[in-house]
Amino acid sequence: MRGLFLKILREVWLGTLLIGLGLFAAETLFAFILPQIQGGIGTMLSQMPWVRGLMSALLGTDVPDDMPTQMLLAIVWVHPVVLALIFAHGLFLGTRVPAAEIDRGTIDVLLSWPLSRRAVYLGESAVWATSGVFILLMALAGHLVGTAITGVPHPPAAHLAMVLVNLYALYVAVGGLTFVLSACSDRRGRVIAIVFAALVGSLLLNVLGQFWAPADRVGFLGVLHYYRPANILSRGAFPTADVAVLLGIGVVLWTLGLVVFTRRSICTV
Amino acid sequence: MSIISARQLTRGYGRRRGISAIDLDVPEGAIFGFLGPNGAGKTTAIRVLLGFLRPRAGQATIFGRDCWRESHHIKRDAGYLPGDLRLYPWMTGRSALRIVGGVRGTDLTAPGRDLADRFRLDLDVRVRRMSRGMRQKLGLILTLAHGPRLLVLDEPTSGLDPLMQITLADELRDRAARGTTIFFSSHTLSEVNDLCDRVAIIRDGTIVADEPLATLRRRARRTVRITFANGAAPDDLRPPGFLTVRRRDGCVWTCVMDGVAAPLLAWLAAHPVHDLAIGPPDLETLFRTYYDFDDRASPVDPPDGDAPVGVPS
Repeated sequence: MRGLFLKILREVWLGTLLIGLGLFAAETLFAFILPQIQGGIGTMLSQMPWVRGLMSALLGTDVPDDMPTQMLLAIVWVHPVVLALIFAHGLFLGTRVPAAEIDRGTIDVLLSWPLSRRAVYLGESAVWATSGVFILLMALAGHLVGTAITGVPHPPAAHLAMVLVNLYALYVAVGGLTFVLSACSDRRGRVIAIVFAALVGSLLLNVLGQFWAPADRVGFLGVLHYYRPANILSRGAFPTADVAVLLGIGVVLWTLGLVVFTRRSICTV
Repeated sequence: MSIISARQLTRGYGRRRGISAIDLDVPEGAIFGFLGPNGAGKTTAIRVLLGFLRPRAGQATIFGRDCWRESHHIKRDAGYLPGDLRLYPWMTGRSALRIVGGVRGTDLTAPGRDLADRFRLDLDVRVRRMSRGMRQKLGLILTLAHGPRLLVLDEPTSGLDPLMQITLADELRDRAARGTTIFFSSHTLSEVNDLCDRVAIIRDGTIVADEPLATLRRRARRTVRITFANGAAPDDLRPPGFLTVRRRDGCVWTCVMDGVAAPLLAWLAAHPVHDLAIGPPDLETLFRTYYDFDDRASPVDPPDGDAPVGVPS
């Protein structure tokens, strides 16, 4: 397994580091800027009600005109740039085996090594899971640096930890979907497109749910429905059900991916 | 003992043909040539044997282990060189040896360096900067470095210059002499002719011949040129059944002969001969008949009008 980890780390360390640094920068920037434009956000919400709907969809809770600081800081954790970076990392790692290996024709070399497919899948998953922790910690570091610069008191550490757990559970759910699609596919681009469509669909459901009751009723079908950092930061309650649903989705799909990958025929011709 | 054994091995790709009911036995220590034209099913058979593809029917074993279920155990003692080799572009030869050594749990640096010297490959060049031939050499080094009991090589000489082809052939002969079993696919007859003990020919997904090369040589036709003494070859002289006259030029006959030379010599004893030249077994024509024959023709009996065979050298 040592050689496998050497290979995986050689291929993912730079991308993971860049995404981690990107998250650090984005979190620092947003945590620094948002409290300074707090008044402007209130004005914008009253003038453009659709923005309120969009923010409610992202935050997973109703947004008042006079947004409290804690809710404002929650935006940092749902900002599209932040989520895009986290999902990009999940997609980058989750599609490596077998889709990307087949796509670039290197699967023959990988499978010629004396490693079971289970070992390959577990090795890739281990790196995906650990590097997910790394990029979220980078985001947290950025958040703390940003709030320290502005002097705005950051949310209690326990609340931040809950947000991170919820976000990691979301990362696992999206990763699980990515892994199972990758296990079924020979094309990385196809997997990325499907996962991206699922995420956009989930976001659309949340947004539409703010204005349209039928969409609200089926909002539970999207994964973003189970990620509500504003609630966590304002109430301090651990989102047990949300985390359980997300981890459940992730683990089931990931396991399905393992079963498919170990049983499917791999063909590059 | 058979190192590779396949029984009724079948694998298709939907409507596309793959392999159908293949039987194979590769004895230990043999150099086994797996021949066939492009698209005949060589790579599919190899992929099934190495556990990349799940067989639809039949069974295959290597070292007595099931090729699908125990593939990763098999690969501990096997080296595989894919036909369309794609290596990781960021790799250098050195890092590749470190990684593959890590996977195999052994240090491959020293044997890798020896092989690199033999194949004249700089181990510090990145794959993305390598020519096709260099990548093929690196693939061979990674396949050979751990000293496997079985080598499965899918068209190993593609991309290699003639000098390196000779080096590879020498390396394979050395390894076979030390007991390594070598199974390699090719559509180049000369490679097989130079190296193999035994040959299987696959066509349209089925094995059409599986025999020792010596047997095939005996079966192959030979070109014969007979120069009769003056007056010894009248126009009405009929050749025996094993001899087909392609051209009569006075007292010089250019013929193809089935089988060994003894009956020819016996027949010629009654007809004074000035000169006789018997060519080597014409494997190329024999193999071409395996590649091309239709169901009406025998694979060892090329249809009339087949391309004239060359004059023996």
